[in-house]
Amino acid sequence: LIFKTVLKDIRSVSILLCLHSVFFFFSRHPLATFFHLFFRVSAIITYLFCDWFSNSFVACFVTILLLLSFDFWSVKNVTGRLLVGLRWWNQIDEDGKSHWVFEAKRVSIVNKTASTEAEARIFWLGLIICPVIWTVFFFSTLFSLKLKWLALVIAGISLQTANLYGYIHCKLGGQKSTSRVTSRFFVTADNENTYL
Amino acid sequence: MRDLKAVGKKFVHVMYPKKSSALLRDWDLWGPLVLCVSLALMLQGGSADSKDDGGPQFAEVFVIIWFGAVVITLNSKLLGGTISFFQSLCVLGYCVLPLTVAMLVCRLVLLAGSGTVSFVIRLIVVVAMFGWSTLASTAFLADSQPPNRKALVVYPIFLFYFVISWMILTFTPQ
Repeated sequence: LIFKTVLKDIRSVSILLCLHSVFFFFSRHPLATFFHLFFRVSAIITYLFCDWFSNSFVACFVTILLLLSFDFWSVKNVTGRLLVGLRWWNQIDEDGKSHWVFEAKRVSIVNKTASTEAEARIFWLGLIICPVIWTVFFFSTLFSLKLKWLALVIAGISLQTANLYGYIHCKLGGQKSTSRVTSRFFVTADNENTYL
Repeated sequence: MRDLKAVGKKFVHVMYPKKSSALLRDWDLWGPLVLCVSLALMLQGGSADSKDDGGPQFAEVFVIIWFGAVVITLNSKLLGGTISFFQSLCVLGYCVLPLTVAMLVCRLVLLAGSGTVSFVIRLIVVVAMFGWSTLASTAFLADSQPPNRKALVVYPIFLFYFVISWMILTFTPQ
């Protein structure tokens, strides 16, 4: 069946990602690397194998939703900042106008080590592959008419695509113009940042 | 943690709706998510023909709340409101809190019995909480509109909380 081969592919990809992160455990932020992938991959695995874990639709729904929310929070607030030096948030002025801010940390070429490269690779791989997988789930749910899962899949797609879009925006913004944010400002301004 | 304290502060602001900037300026969607999940958990299995474990009702409540909130936000933005998309979602989501409390009270009352007296009690509680929710959200949202458009913005909010209150009132456990 096509589905079984897709399953095997997904399992091998996830094992590969885990091995990748374990192999680079000497990286500077091993916990961030682990958690970046952990919530996303757990959400996908729970969605695929929810029939094995529990008979209850509600339990699976709530578990996957919680995993997706934790993943959104951790990728937006922690792993992006630590692994690739990017961040984005929404700011509302005194007069009530809201605007989105995208920032990229200026990184000198000397500081780029093998562990930084590996972390960045894991970050972007995890960031890009998971929304694609959720889009595949969207079509499979639609065509197999298991519509009660549709709300969850749409939530998953929106949360993961939001992070993907935000970070791509940061990355492109940082490449277009030299970022005015120095690393010192980056570190001290952390506490004033409003986290979503 | 700071995020948890911010969420707690917003819950307090909803219960005592004064003009506060916390709900509007530092918006977040954690509170609405928690409220939505708890309301959906309490409302599941309440329809007469549910054969399984109330799965469709759970997703139904979710979709109604989020889709309804998005539609109200789009409506107020099309009418020329000054509030941003996520701020409005935040306010509408947090103002579901009184209705969640009403659902809790209804479930407790239904444990005691489901006669006429319990129905009257539930009716009073739900109507009171519905009024509180609507007043709280209009206190935050209506100010961002010009005066002649306020009714056009308040009406969908009224409808939204009415639908949720209806689901709460007509809930009968299996």
